[in-house]
Amino acid sequence: MDAERSYSELAVRARAALASVQASPGVAKPDPILHAEKVKRNFGGVTAVDVDHLEIQRGSITALIGPNGAGKTTLFNLLTGFDTPDNGEWMFDGKSLKKVVAHKTASLGMVRTFQLTKSLTKLSVIENMKLGATHQAGEKWWNGLLPFRYRKQEAIIERRADELLKRFKLDHMRDQYAGTLSGGQRKLLEMARALMTNPRLVMLDEPMAGVNPALKQSLNEHIRGLRDDGMTVLFVEHDMDMVHDISDWVVVMAEGKIIAEGTPDQISANPAVIEAYLGSHQGKSLLEGEGA
Amino acid sequence: MDIIKILENTVAAFFGIDAAYFALAAIGLNIQFGYTGLLNFGQSAFMACGAYGLGMTSQYFGVGMWWGILIALALVIILGLLVGIPTLRLRADYLAIVTIATAEIVRLVVRSVRFKQYFGGSDGINSFSTSFRNLSPFDPGAQYGIRPFQYSGYSLWTMIVGWTLVAFFSFLVYMLMKSPWGRVVKAIREDEDAVRSLGKNVYSYKMQSLIIGGVVGMFSGMIFALDRGSVQPDNYSRDVTFYVLTALVLGGVAKVRGSVIGPMMFWGLYVFSDNFLRELTKDRPFEIFGFGIIQKAQVGPVNYMLIGLGLMLLMTFRPQGVFGSKEEMALDGR
Amino acid sequence: MFVLLGVLVALAAPAAVHALDSDYSIIVSVANQTNNNGVAEKKPVAGVKIAITTPAGVAVGEGVTDATGAATIAVPAKDDYVVTLDVASLPSGVTLVEGTKTVVNIVKDAFTTNQKRVTFFAGSTGDSGASLAERIAQRLVDGVRLGLIIAICSVGLSLIFGTTGLTNFAHGEMVTFGGMMAFWFNVLLGVPLLIAGPLVIALGGVFGLAMNGLIFAKLRKRGIGLISQLVVSVGLSIMLRNMYLYQFGGRTRPLDDFSLQVAKSFGPVSITMRDLTTTIISLVVLLGVAAYLQRSRTGKAIRAVSDNPSLASSTGIDTQKIIRIVWFAGGALAAMGGLFRGLDEQVGFEMGSGLIFLMFAGITLGGLGSAYGALVGGFLVGLLVELASLVVPAELKNAPALLILIVVLVLRPQGILGRKQRVG
Repeated sequence: MDAERSYSELAVRARAALASVQASPGVAKPDPILHAEKVKRNFGGVTAVDVDHLEIQRGSITALIGPNGAGKTTLFNLLTGFDTPDNGEWMFDGKSLKKVVAHKTASLGMVRTFQLTKSLTKLSVIENMKLGATHQAGEKWWNGLLPFRYRKQEAIIERRADELLKRFKLDHMRDQYAGTLSGGQRKLLEMARALMTNPRLVMLDEPMAGVNPALKQSLNEHIRGLRDDGMTVLFVEHDMDMVHDISDWVVVMAEGKIIAEGTPDQISANPAVIEAYLGSHQGKSLLEGEGA
Repeated sequence: MDIIKILENTVAAFFGIDAAYFALAAIGLNIQFGYTGLLNFGQSAFMACGAYGLGMTSQYFGVGMWWGILIALALVIILGLLVGIPTLRLRADYLAIVTIATAEIVRLVVRSVRFKQYFGGSDGINSFSTSFRNLSPFDPGAQYGIRPFQYSGYSLWTMIVGWTLVAFFSFLVYMLMKSPWGRVVKAIREDEDAVRSLGKNVYSYKMQSLIIGGVVGMFSGMIFALDRGSVQPDNYSRDVTFYVLTALVLGGVAKVRGSVIGPMMFWGLYVFSDNFLRELTKDRPFEIFGFGIIQKAQVGPVNYMLIGLGLMLLMTFRPQGVFGSKEEMALDGR
Repeated sequence: MFVLLGVLVALAAPAAVHALDSDYSIIVSVANQTNNNGVAEKKPVAGVKIAITTPAGVAVGEGVTDATGAATIAVPAKDDYVVTLDVASLPSGVTLVEGTKTVVNIVKDAFTTNQKRVTFFAGSTGDSGASLAERIAQRLVDGVRLGLIIAICSVGLSLIFGTTGLTNFAHGEMVTFGGMMAFWFNVLLGVPLLIAGPLVIALGGVFGLAMNGLIFAKLRKRGIGLISQLVVSVGLSIMLRNMYLYQFGGRTRPLDDFSLQVAKSFGPVSITMRDLTTTIISLVVLLGVAAYLQRSRTGKAIRAVSDNPSLASSTGIDTQKIIRIVWFAGGALAAMGGLFRGLDEQVGFEMGSGLIFLMFAGITLGGLGSAYGALVGGFLVGLLVELASLVVPAELKNAPALLILIVVLVLRPQGILGRKQRVG
């Protein structure tokens, strides 16, 4: 399978923990970083999300898949505070997020990206990056008036930003307007920028959407790199190759509910999953994928 | 037609007190609208806070000018919160609607007969500038300057104070916008959710921007009232905000230069047009094909029509104004 | 658009000459206020002598109030003046309100246009014996009248927002357009209002179509964002308002037909036949509009597009056509509102601009983008504003509308009938 790959120690531990977990929807995990219970969201009579129980294993890469309209992005929005559920409880690292608004979840260590990339086009690449840093003194207006109050911190932030840009191979564009970058580069920028917040959980909403195939491999490597550094990754995707390639665990949603969970191999063979996908004319790649 | 006089007046308008107080209002509006994307159509209400705060404390409470500034500041903060709390979490249009309503209400209240004892009703407040006058090193009676640009000592003093304030706040805004605070605020203008996802309290930044912009607008109202020597409610109508907006767009939003040069150009153009049309219709109406198009008394409305038309054309064909960058505008989805 | 300008200018030439006969002037009015059962009536007082001097006492001009109770006295420039009313010249039985100064100082800056208005009030403004219930009843009637007019004017505003996303700050000028056209037909051309009325309404519709077709459709095509479009509508509002000022002058003038009416009493309330008629017509139109939106195919399509434009177009509805219909209807209804308002309160260059913020309060209360919301919200705002005048001085009676706006936005931003998603 992917025996040629090397995993960092943290990654090895996370994968080992998952090996003992049974493949059934809503199953508990040995060390959950995110825990959601009975989360429901209705839109004018249509139930968009109805998740009974969901746990995400710390330090793993978990994929959230499902046909269009399954409620994946809505679930993302609910978990990160960009939307309010009709009821439900969810915890991040033991802390309840029930009434926590979007910007607070981010400062707690849970960062997300968006389906339609939100790179701030009128800021330069480096400015985008510096925006991501947390606890900046210069962001208070009274400090903003006095450069000497934020200059030192700004330099430290800038160095970190440059390192990250190099890692994502965007460093040569650091001073250009983000609006001049290609779609794939903007995705990378959004990811790099999210890392500036020093998150513990990175939630990526369709990181592969609109990215040209040449860039996909490198994106994959970057995501695996996040896990190797000890971060937990939860991502929504339609690209089954990618899902199969890098995820440690897969959660499948359909019509707002979780219908299956398991390793990528287990999911490919799961009849309920195939049914859900066939039902919406997707999933051919799943049948043709490896490990079937 | 007295071309020389027209040109003299035009040049004087570039540097006059009107351009100065407009520039202050525009700097404030620029913080709110240019940089943060907040549609504050109630800048005139903040200006009124400044003028009335100053005027009331001097006239009715008999305290010095500096207390007046503090009271005006309190009024601005209260007004900012009143307007911001319900609207800053919602779409931009709501702020526009509420601020325009607020500006109108503020004007109605200060102009009302019911509150005449506080605000002076439609007569306004007329004698409050003594402590300001006393600070002036110039002799109020004498004329300074060279012909044809001569100013009384008092006018010269208010002009100097006015333009000094313009320079001061321009510098402050420049520093602020270069700082991380400015970075957050510029990002908010483009995409609030992105900023939220990075852990920043968007609502709080918008409120700060609204109030800081309002404070600069407050100084605008004060300078204007001090120059005229009176506080008149009809000078703080919602139309004033629109004219300031036009001046700002003309100069270029989100550019400090724009918020200063724009008002100067605006006043230069306005005074030129006004003088020109008056000269044109001095003895007889201006006619096209035998129709009396412009009568002398219609010069005012015609000028304002041109301002309205100008704003429309600017927003359509050159939204970046004189100093704005085209690429920034091109990246604009708004 | 310049064609429009040219046409309006050509039409205006006679009106312009008629309206403005001096550069600057002070218009002094004397009105006798009486209070019958809570209805304040203002009657003009003629024959009162007015004198204007400089602060130094040099005579500038003088005049005598005419049948409309006003004296227009020319002054050489925008400057400081002293206006003095000759108390001895007041007709017998008419006395100024207690505490009214007979000498008024005008400051140069008080001239916001070329004319400064000064009004002296005679009579007593104390309420004469009307019980609270009677006063409330009268206010309710006035509120219904105002509310129906606001509702009619705001439907277009709300639907334009719903279908195109534009908050049209020039909508007030569409109302004024109705008043202006009514004046032109009725007073300048002498056409009776029963014939001119429908014409005015149709022209209002055309005006709406022109605004969309010549300006906003083109902006949408160019991809110009909604905020920028909003600012363009602000510029348009300034331009139109001053165009009206340029043609019509600064004073308000009544229409010829139906202008002198006596209020009839129906129990505790009194209303003129004219106002009663316009109120009934407004109600009928309102119900008609509501029925149309509910039952007819186009009406349903309008509601669909206003509710969710992208969804609607994916079901095959021709959104561009719907948008045009909405602008036409919005313009026509606004013109109707202007016509009725002109009958009610006289025609003036600012008659619509004063209403716009009540309209905004109404559609926020009812729900931005919802047609029924505009009807309900507008009506309620009119009602609330008139009822508020029981506790708040008349000059501030629009203030509660602002309070309504703020409270709604804090408690329930989507209004009564709006959708939550549209809001933040």
